[in-house]
Amino acid sequence: MLKAKSDNHGGEDYLRYLENEKKISDQIIDYSRSMITIINRKYGYEKANATFCRAHRMLTDSIVGRSLGDIWGENTFKAYIKKNIDECFAGKTVRYEASFETPGLGIRYFEVIFRPLSTGNGEVTHLLAETTDIDDLIHSRKAVIEKEEEFRTFETNLPIGFLRVDPEGKIIHANRTFLRIMECGEEVPVLGINVRDFYVEQGIFEMQLDQLAEFNTRSFGRVYLRNCKGREIPCRLSAYVALDDNGRTSYIDFALEDSSRELMLENRLLQAQKLETIGALAGGVAHDFNNILATISGYAEMLQEDLKSDNNHYKKASRIMSAVSRGLSLTKQILTFSRQVEQEKVPVSVAEVLKETIGFIKPVLPSGITIKSKLSKNVVWVLADPTQLFRIFLNLMTNAFQAMEEKGGKLAVTQTVVEGRSVRSELNKDIVADEYVLISFKDTGKGMEPSLLKRIFEPFFSTREFGKGTGLGLSVVHGIVTEMEGEILVSSEKDKGSVFNIYLPVLKYTAEPLAGEKRKKILFFSGNKHESRILIIALESSGFDLISANDSDDLYSIFTEPGNSPDLIIYMADTEMIKQEDLAGLYNELKIETPCILITDPDHGVIEENLLNSGIIKQHLLKPVSLRELRDAIQFAIK
Amino acid sequence: MPGILIVEDDLELREMLRISFARKKFTVLEAENGRDAILHFKPSVTDIVITDLIMPDEDGLKVIMKLKEQKPSIRIIAISGGGKVGPGNYLNLAKALGANAVFSKPFSINDLMIKIDELLEPEQHD
Repeated sequence: MLKAKSDNHGGEDYLRYLENEKKISDQIIDYSRSMITIINRKYGYEKANATFCRAHRMLTDSIVGRSLGDIWGENTFKAYIKKNIDECFAGKTVRYEASFETPGLGIRYFEVIFRPLSTGNGEVTHLLAETTDIDDLIHSRKAVIEKEEEFRTFETNLPIGFLRVDPEGKIIHANRTFLRIMECGEEVPVLGINVRDFYVEQGIFEMQLDQLAEFNTRSFGRVYLRNCKGREIPCRLSAYVALDDNGRTSYIDFALEDSSRELMLENRLLQAQKLETIGALAGGVAHDFNNILATISGYAEMLQEDLKSDNNHYKKASRIMSAVSRGLSLTKQILTFSRQVEQEKVPVSVAEVLKETIGFIKPVLPSGITIKSKLSKNVVWVLADPTQLFRIFLNLMTNAFQAMEEKGGKLAVTQTVVEGRSVRSELNKDIVADEYVLISFKDTGKGMEPSLLKRIFEPFFSTREFGKGTGLGLSVVHGIVTEMEGEILVSSEKDKGSVFNIYLPVLKYTAEPLAGEKRKKILFFSGNKHESRILIIALESSGFDLISANDSDDLYSIFTEPGNSPDLIIYMADTEMIKQEDLAGLYNELKIETPCILITDPDHGVIEENLLNSGIIKQHLLKPVSLRELRDAIQFAIK
Repeated sequence: MPGILIVEDDLELREMLRISFARKKFTVLEAENGRDAILHFKPSVTDIVITDLIMPDEDGLKVIMKLKEQKPSIRIIAISGGGKVGPGNYLNLAKALGANAVFSKPFSINDLMIKIDELLEPEQHD
C-alpha cells in the first residue's frame, strides 16, 4: 500500500503523485477478473473497468454516462437489477448469484456484489458493483452434488450394509441396507451407538481392529451380530481403515452382508451329504446283516423241520425266527432310509391317505390334544406307495403328539398345491416340478433347539429315552420323501412348536378303471378299516379287485355266497375284533383252500402257533408292509 | 436227483444253503464268486442255480447271462441282501436278464424250496 506523503513536497509533486496513484489503482481495477463499475443514484455508470468493457464489447467512454437500463435493457433492469441497487443505496451490501448474458461471454453464472459508497457525512451517493464470473465454479459444484447424489443412491441401493465408525467404534453413518439387515428402522437412533455393541461375542471387534492395524486384513469372514430386534444374524464382514495425514485412524468403514440364507443352504447341503454318507454306510451294513440273518433263519427253519411242533425246542427255533423277523424289519428301515429299496409307486390321492391316517390315529389321541385338518377339495395325485405315504404321515403325527404330550395342544394338518417355481428357492432345487402338493403338519408342542433340529433326520438319532424306538423314524421319512423326489423341511421354535412341510411333485392324472382282463380277487380281512383301507387303495391301484371283511360274520357270508370266492385272503391280524382262531376255524368248517397272506405287527401280539402251522398261511409279512413286498407275496401265494 | 449250483460269496450262508439242499437230496455244487461259477459251470448236471447278485469277481447278473447262454433251459433264482447299489433295481434287472425268481435276504428256506419245486416241474401245456 502506498502511503500518502506530507504536504511539504510541494503542490505539483503532490499532484503528480496523486495522478500516479490513480493510474496504479485504475490498473489494479482494470486487471481484476471481476467486472467492476461505479453506479450513481440515477442508475447510470460513472466508471467501468476493462473486464466489464470486454464483457460488453464496448469502450469505457461509451459506457460511462449511460444508464443500466440502456446497457442491460429496460425490462431486465426493472425486473432483476433495480431492486438490488435500491437496497444497496439504502445502505446495505447486496450479494446474489444469477445467470445472465453478456455479449463477450455469453450466458454464464455470476456472483454480483453491490457495495454502498458514501461521502463523509454518511450519505450513499454511489455504489460499487463487482460482478465475478463463477460459472466454472457453479458447474463443478453442481457436478460434485450430482456425484454425491449418485453415490448416495448407489450406496442406498447396494445390497451390502455399509457402516462408517470413528476410531472408537461409534457409528457415524449407516446406509439403508445396514438398517434393514439389522432391523433398526431409521438411521438416527443408530448414530453414536458403538458398533461393538452389535457383536454377539465380546472381544471380536477389538480382535478385528488389531488385525486391521497389523496385517491390513480386509475380510473377516462370518461374524454373528445381534440386531436391533435381538436376533442373531450371521454376517460376512469386511472393513477398511482410513488414516489421516499423521497415520492415525480417522475412521473405519465396514461392509456387511447378511449370510443367513447362504448359511442355511450350506447347512442343508452339509446335512444332505452327511445323510448320504451315513446312508451308504448303513446300507452296506444292512446288506451284510441280511446275509447273516439269512444264515440264522435258514438253520432255524431246518431245526423246526427236524423237531416236532410239540417238542420243547421247537418253540425256541420259532423264537429265533421272530428275532430274525425283527432284525429284518430293522434292515428294511435302514435300506429305506438310505434309499436302497425301490418303491413300488402307483397314482394315489394324497387327501385320501391323509384322511385314513387321521382316522387311524384319532381313536388313540391322548386327551388334551386336538387335530384339525384342512385338505384341498380337488383330488391331488402323486406317484407313491400308499403304504409309505401312510407311514410318513403317521410318523409325523405321532411325533407331533409326543411333542404335545405334557401340555396338550393342537395339530393342524393342511394340504395345498403350490407352483414349482414359487418354491424353487425354498426347495433349493434347480429343476422343479410344475406343481407340488404341500402337506404341512404344525403342532403347538415343545419345539426343538436349533442344535437338535439339525440332526433329526439322522438315523439312530433319538430324543426319546433309551430303548424307546429305534431312532429311525424320521430318517426313514426323509428317505421316502427324497425317493419320491420330494422335499421335507422343518422349522421349530423352542416351547412354541414345530412345522414339518412335505413337498411332493403333483402327478397329472385322471383316474380311469384299469383294463378289465381277468383280475384277481382279494379278500382283505382286517378289523381296522383305516389301516386296511391304505393297503386296499394300494392294491386297487395295482390292478386287483378288493373285497373287505371286518369280522368273522362278513367272512362267513362271503364264503357261503356262491360265485363270490376270492383268489386270495390277506389277513391283517392286529385287532381285538377278529380272533385268530376264527380264521382257522372258518377254514376248517367251510373247507376253504384259498391261500392266505398273514400280516402281523412285530411289536405286539403273539401269533397263534396253530394258525401258522395250519398250512393256511402261504406268506407271513411284518408291518410296515410296502406295496412291493405285498405284491411279491401275492405273486408267490397265487401261482 | 436234481443238481443245484449255489453261487454266494458269504461262506456261512453258502454252507447253510448247501446243507439245506443236501437234506432235500439235491446234488449241490458251489462257487464263491461269479467268475468261478461261469468257469466251472457243468450244464449236464446243473438244473437250477441260486446266485447272489453282489459279489466280487463277476457279479450275479453276469452269471445269469452267461449260464443262460450256455444252457437256456437252466432255472435261475437270484438272491440279494439289498444295500450298496440299489437291490430293488438289481433284482428287477436280474428278472429282466432271465432269472426265474428273485428273493430278498433273509428269505424262508421253505419258500425257496416251494419255488424250486415249482420251477422244476415239467412245463405244462394247457
